[in-house]
Amino acid sequence: MFNKFSRRAGSGVAVTVAAALMLTACGGNGGGEAGGTPDPNEEVTLNFTWWGNEDRAERYNEAIALFEEENPNIDVNGTFMDFPAYWEKRQTEAAGGGLPDVMQFDYSYLRQYGQNGLLLDLNDYVGNGLTTDTIDDTLLATGKLEDQTLGVPTGYNAWSLFENPALIEQAGVEGYEGGTSWEEYEEYMASVSDASDEVFGGTDYTGRIQNFELQLRQEGRELFTEDGQLNFTQEELAEFWSSTADLRENETVIPARTLEELLPKSGFGSNLTASEMTWSNFMGGYLGDTGAEDLNIVAPPTNDPSVKDLYQKPSMLHAVSAGTEHPEAAVAFVEFLINSPEVGKIFGASLGVPASETALEGAALEGPELEVKEYLDSVADRIGEPPAAPVVGYGALENTFLTLGTSIGLGSISPEDAAQQFFDEAAVTLAG
Amino acid sequence: MTTGSAHAPVNTRTTAEPGTRPAGNRRTGGQPKRKGGKDNLAGYLFLTPWLIGLFALTLGPMLFSLYLAFTDYNLFTAPKWTGLGNFERMAGDTVFWGSVQITLIYVLVGTPIKLAAALGVAMLLNFKSKGTGFFRSAFYAPSLIGASVSIAIVWRAMFSTNGPIDNGLNLFGINLGGWVGVPALVMPMMILLAVWQFGAPMVIFLAGLKQIPGELYEAASVDGAKAWRKFLSVTLPMLSPVIFFNLLLEMINAFQIFASAYIIGSGSGGPAGATNFYTVYLYTRAFTNNQMGYAAAMAWVLLIAVGILAFILFRTSKSWVHYGGDTK
Repeated sequence: MFNKFSRRAGSGVAVTVAAALMLTACGGNGGGEAGGTPDPNEEVTLNFTWWGNEDRAERYNEAIALFEEENPNIDVNGTFMDFPAYWEKRQTEAAGGGLPDVMQFDYSYLRQYGQNGLLLDLNDYVGNGLTTDTIDDTLLATGKLEDQTLGVPTGYNAWSLFENPALIEQAGVEGYEGGTSWEEYEEYMASVSDASDEVFGGTDYTGRIQNFELQLRQEGRELFTEDGQLNFTQEELAEFWSSTADLRENETVIPARTLEELLPKSGFGSNLTASEMTWSNFMGGYLGDTGAEDLNIVAPPTNDPSVKDLYQKPSMLHAVSAGTEHPEAAVAFVEFLINSPEVGKIFGASLGVPASETALEGAALEGPELEVKEYLDSVADRIGEPPAAPVVGYGALENTFLTLGTSIGLGSISPEDAAQQFFDEAAVTLAG
Repeated sequence: MTTGSAHAPVNTRTTAEPGTRPAGNRRTGGQPKRKGGKDNLAGYLFLTPWLIGLFALTLGPMLFSLYLAFTDYNLFTAPKWTGLGNFERMAGDTVFWGSVQITLIYVLVGTPIKLAAALGVAMLLNFKSKGTGFFRSAFYAPSLIGASVSIAIVWRAMFSTNGPIDNGLNLFGINLGGWVGVPALVMPMMILLAVWQFGAPMVIFLAGLKQIPGELYEAASVDGAKAWRKFLSVTLPMLSPVIFFNLLLEMINAFQIFASAYIIGSGSGGPAGATNFYTVYLYTRAFTNNQMGYAAAMAWVLLIAVGILAFILFRTSKSWVHYGGDTK
């Protein structure tokens, strides 16, 4: 009875997001012919969307203009938004059956969209419209889900540690060399914080789930089990959050209260901390935020450098909607964005160090972007297999982790209670 | 004589003076006779755009959300019926109760302060002097721009470390630092933002004050009442219908606080849940966590809770709201 009722309610007009999607979601087109190149005589309009700032928009517009010049019959209609709004919009479109033809895609949403049949399997086009042998196999695998190729990585990055040489010099201490023990990193942070009134050595790293993952991988474990459940105990999480209590108390790390005021910038981006761990593609953003001429990028701490704790993460992927009316044209556009040396030149490393050899060649990296590439090469020994594509709801869990970490930093919740809350939340999120 | 129900419009006070015809007679006697179906049809035709809007854009989605409240729905797969599951989860959700708590504090503390400020300023502006027109507009301005995103951003900046508020308080030897990163100081900051937007209730109060007959004050003066006494015995009772109206409206508005909290808390309800108001949490559940069923359930709980509070207000109003013509 309720099902019938919901249908009637939904059939009204456009109504809410929720209503409309239910009905149309099943509509999609039934899967097409295998591969091929677009018909040069057919007039085609492709919708393409990405998240990012003005700078990225300019680059994409340049690339689109170039593509349209090469394919006069294809008209690409590009739109962009910031990251959170981007996914809200995609989710409502996914529900309503109106996803754009080509989308810049994020690793953490791949499983959610892929499992629900919303993305086109590109396997049929590989070698027939889409070239992927320009891309490293492990990296290419990050766009795959159960043998389907759902996304093609634009570029890659890895977890890393940024340092601000100007601040280190100002404090008059030695920089952190990278890749040594966690204790040494903490000592380094303390040396900066003690030497300076305004600048702190770093940020409390327990706020980010990636650092927890890093420590787990250093023990040879992953965040999630193979069947997508949490692969650690509540006590271990509480212990992780407690492990930096001293650093917070002594203000070796920047106080959470200050960080709250700085949002959306980070402490590092605001020139208040001398180091921070994050993804290596933050180089460009951090150079902009800090206004620094140069930033150093080194390996995150580890107690055992022989363990393969790091991995290559696709900075972003390009995916094609399963419901597209012009799969050949869409694939041709993806091929262009991924492999074209001209596109490589336009973007440099701003979408991660280009995944494709041909794009990388075209990019001719230099300066800070070259430093990122050199960093990635330098940690090659520590780079292991990437974890399985993030579980559905990973984005929400990552967010919960961050919020709870901040609350601990503000002293409004104990690590034990926070771990309890995280597990309660995960039970709900991972049950679906 | 008592006319109308407890919540009749304010202006019945002037129309239903003793001595006029009884209300009942006027109603039946004054109404034109029905002219048949044609006029009705025309009437409904004129109503159609609104009716379509009501059914398609308001009622339909509302009923659908009522259905969703009893399901698990992640936008990607069809809703799964879970009965009261969402409500049971809500009962055990500590973050939910945290958001209920801060929302109630915000409503119960913020609304009276805002109304007091509005009434105070309205009384000041009720004096006849040069430039009141200008001041009325000036005081009204914040409520015109208050809901906007830019104001929330400015507010955030004002209360940051070394912002105007911090520096201003430093002059008086009060050293609180920035308010934005301190959970305990975020609530006062949010309430101040709400209070600052007292313009709308102020204008209504002003209109109400203008309707109080001057003779009442003169009579009170003759009886030797001082300003405070006049305020308590003349202004407040005469103004009580307006106060009731404002209280109801502002309370319901306060429950719906979203934009400013979302921006000041950077969308995450931070710091430490201090801006995780009911609607912010609802939004997070719906659009960050994709738990549309849970969010729909939350929306209905809010609707019912606000409905109950409004009902209680109406009930108590009988004892403190005086309409003109009441014999009390």
